[in-house]
Amino acid sequence: MSAVFILQSLISGILMGGIYALLGVGFSLTWGVLRVINIAHAAFGVLAAYIAYWFSTKLTLDPLFSLVISLPCLFFGGMILHRGLIRPITKARETIISSMVLTFGLAIVLENVMLWLWKADPRVLNPSYSGTAIFIGEVALPIPQVIAFGLAVVGISLIYLFLNQTHTGKAVQATWQEQEGAALMGINLNRVSQITFGLAIAAAGLGGVAMAMMYTFDPPVHNFWLIYMFLVVIVGGVGSILGTALAGLILGIITGLSMAFIPYQWINVLTFGLLIVILLIRPQGLFKTGV
Amino acid sequence: MAKGPGQSGIGKILLPAGAGILVLLTLFPLFSPPAYFLSMLYMVFLYVVLAESWNIIGGLAGYLSFGHVAFFGIGAYTTAFLMKQLGLSPLGTILSSLPAGLVAAMVAFLIGYPCLRLRGPYFAVITLCFAFVVHMVIQNIEIFGGVEGLWLPAMEKPISFIRAVFYEIMLGLMVAVILIFRWIEKSRLGMGLMTIKEEEEVAQTLGIHTPRLKIIAFGLSAFFPGIAGGLHAYYLAYISPEIVFDVMISILIVLMALFGGGGSWIGGLIGAVSLSLVNEFLTTFIGAEIARIIYGLLFIGVIIFMPNGIMEFLRRFGREDLC
Repeated sequence: MSAVFILQSLISGILMGGIYALLGVGFSLTWGVLRVINIAHAAFGVLAAYIAYWFSTKLTLDPLFSLVISLPCLFFGGMILHRGLIRPITKARETIISSMVLTFGLAIVLENVMLWLWKADPRVLNPSYSGTAIFIGEVALPIPQVIAFGLAVVGISLIYLFLNQTHTGKAVQATWQEQEGAALMGINLNRVSQITFGLAIAAAGLGGVAMAMMYTFDPPVHNFWLIYMFLVVIVGGVGSILGTALAGLILGIITGLSMAFIPYQWINVLTFGLLIVILLIRPQGLFKTGV
Repeated sequence: MAKGPGQSGIGKILLPAGAGILVLLTLFPLFSPPAYFLSMLYMVFLYVVLAESWNIIGGLAGYLSFGHVAFFGIGAYTTAFLMKQLGLSPLGTILSSLPAGLVAAMVAFLIGYPCLRLRGPYFAVITLCFAFVVHMVIQNIEIFGGVEGLWLPAMEKPISFIRAVFYEIMLGLMVAVILIFRWIEKSRLGMGLMTIKEEEEVAQTLGIHTPRLKIIAFGLSAFFPGIAGGLHAYYLAYISPEIVFDVMISILIVLMALFGGGGSWIGGLIGAVSLSLVNEFLTTFIGAEIARIIYGLLFIGVIIFMPNGIMEFLRRFGREDLC
């Protein structure tokens, strides 16, 4: 096994890891701040991927242009969903479990609406630069993957800056740490949760498009994205942005390297095994620090 | 906590009524009804089996398994595999659903040992992922037919006879599961599980060996879906990962139990019967996709309007005596 081959696997792993992290960030935020596990999170990503697909086939525009429309739509759509569906269930005895069942229903609705609209055939985003790559020595960096990784870096950085540099972002952090305390300090919990949810859904959309740059997708694929997201969030610690980013990279490197040795279809089994081991050792996540 | 119906006034009516319904159901195939009704009721019984089995770990112990379809699918594949490899007779195939249940229970022991140490949402999500992974594994193993699945030679008997046979067997399994659930509910095991649901730390300090109870409960709750899966494989005569590991089934089970209120046998029964009837009608009369969209909306509706189950929903209207 040549060194170049290992290096190649490592680099594609890192590129992949960035996308996992981007998909996981919003999931982590909703779980941490709202105490809501959004099973439909990845389904919104698939939805954004289909919108991008539609942009590139129907309008022959670059799939990235679709983000200008789909991200604001997902953000406001997320806020509306929060108002209509998520807020009522925070009164249930066990919010987290109820939220899982509820968002599962949502995932089923989304998946089947997409099946109905776009059929079950696997799709692939086909931007003009697909199939091209930059070469650094003998290592190839496929341009779509580099762009996807760029989306991940930008997306995660923006969320990080929002949380740490803006007033609203700090309110989100405060709510995550101590809900009642935050409410006493005059933070409008409903508004903060609503913004967090909208932001998370938009981040899912960005992650979905990034994912679709690298792999084929069909409506049920969100179930498998969910495994990755969950893994990333568990490893990184619920609600921790930097932890999630780091966990995404670690997961990417592990899957990237193992892809060099085992067939692709067994990777999910491997990641599941990893998930169990990590949950057993540290259910609170590997990096339990701040946001 | 729901009282056993034996103790309340309504229980005195419920028992003879239940027995009467049971006799009618048993005799039903003798009136040679259309095969459609038999298969519809068969599906209802199947879902009651699944929901009541789920109730053992989910309802009594409060460990919400979102991946119970894995055990159903494992049972289905075990029976199909045994039949193909050993060339079993029809009777042998039906009986092979017992080892299928055992295999499912064994997998539950293996997976339960690490997973049952996780609580709340962690357990729910890990079981969900487990079901996806089992689906993937089976799909990638050559001997199980991959994505195409396996064909099982059907019984060489008239269709109405075959339907009636499966109807009676599934009815029997359903009654068995309900009786076993009620027995567990009143046993030390059930008491322990309910304590775990209320407060696991307290259960431990009371000297309850919680890991052992949980794993027994998980094994039992996987055993019956395994049997049901084995029977269903023969009933369908064709299985594929898409069919028997359908994540919808997992979620339907949870929804049925939650719809009924969870933790009581009558809740599971009501939830399973009502929702599987809705499911049957939807999938029969409307296309699968639209049916699923409606189903997804139903989920959302149930959780928003009855976050704590229909039993509590009814109780709020002063129907205290019902449970």
